[in-house]
Amino acid sequence: MSYLILNGMQSNDSIIPKINKFIAEKLQEHDIKGEILNLHEKDIKPCLGCFKCWVETPGICIIDDFGREVAEKMIQSDYLFYITPIKYGGYSSELKKALDRSIGLLMPFFRIFHDEIHHETRYDKYPNFSVIGTLDEPNKEQEEIFTNLVKRNSLNNFAPKFTSQIIYTSDDEQTIKTKIDNSLRIMGEEND
Amino acid sequence: MTKHATFLMCSPRGEKSASYSLGNYVSSLLEDRGITVKSFHTYKTLKNSEKIEEMIASINESSIIILSSPLYIDSAPYMTIKLMDTVSTAKQEGKINDDKRLLLAISCAGYLEYYHNNIALKIYKQFAKKNDFTWAGGFPIGAAGTFAMHTVPGLLEQVAQLPEDDVRYQIYGKPTKILDSAFKTAVEKISNGEVIPKEELLKLEVVVMPLGSYIEGGNKNWIDWAEKIGTVEKLRDKPYEKK
Repeated sequence: MSYLILNGMQSNDSIIPKINKFIAEKLQEHDIKGEILNLHEKDIKPCLGCFKCWVETPGICIIDDFGREVAEKMIQSDYLFYITPIKYGGYSSELKKALDRSIGLLMPFFRIFHDEIHHETRYDKYPNFSVIGTLDEPNKEQEEIFTNLVKRNSLNNFAPKFTSQIIYTSDDEQTIKTKIDNSLRIMGEEND
Repeated sequence: MTKHATFLMCSPRGEKSASYSLGNYVSSLLEDRGITVKSFHTYKTLKNSEKIEEMIASINESSIIILSSPLYIDSAPYMTIKLMDTVSTAKQEGKINDDKRLLLAISCAGYLEYYHNNIALKIYKQFAKKNDFTWAGGFPIGAAGTFAMHTVPGLLEQVAQLPEDDVRYQIYGKPTKILDSAFKTAVEKISNGEVIPKEELLKLEVVVMPLGSYIEGGNKNWIDWAEKIGTVEKLRDKPYEKK
């Protein structure tokens, strides 16, 4: 079993490195190995919206940079984490620049899934995924948007199990650990 | 005094995109009312510090901002988020004054159902809130690819001669008329410094054809493209499958 953490923080974030460390330590206790990708340190060009990853080079983005590696690592992981400061209720630009480049993990074809149109799966197995967002203080509107975004993503990512969690920068270490434990427990328990 | 508006076009596909086609139409309706509009293609603008300054200066002079963006994976694309961050930083640094300005957002989804855009529009509303812009309203566009191929007036012209019970009128003509009417009402309102009435935006909440028909048509388009370039047999490849 393996994990992948997509770290969507800006370069000066103080709390996300701690979150990543706690997740990695906890998973290693269960002999789950993996890696953290610090996306702000990577040169990933923006998606061109060309759909060539669906038709010309099926499954592979035509831009040959680290974005390709991210997509490969995403689909090969068993537990996929997005860690991001919450921006306007959504994900950071650093996280989104990698995610936008991963649509080749799906097929271009449409189908009805949960009574609405979604893409077909390209792979037989997709990772469970957990999204942790950080906020300086509680913000009901943004938290609701964020929670719904993760839920919608779970439909488009075909995640068998998913969780979302919000951590405030004022949370103490124990609270952060408890929130992370809750996310991992849900992913693990329901995956048994 | 002449009013100014800024059109922020957020698609990497430039003028071939629905985001451009629809935002440009709204801009033209504003210009018809004597409002000057400056347009910025964010994928080009954000690469160039002088262009960024020009965009911020334009926003500072504007009483209306039009943000038109594609929908990528249920939310704003990378470059649209970066744009919002750039504007928010400029506001924090005092480069954008506190004058009243309205933000109208258009979100363009490839899926048929309009509501896939709802989260993105809520994100744009939060962006407005953060920067003290007045949220004028959001346009959730489903099956937006239609507007990448046709302008709103162009499509209306094409369906003008069709009887109302013609299937093409039902699929293309009727919803485009509703959209056109909503855009015109929106422009009338925002030109006068008012927000768009909710009931006008609610008219856009329609699914114009059976899901199965859209799926059939959409899937055929992918096959047609693949046949032209000889990749049909490779479409279902799994290049990153774990060995």
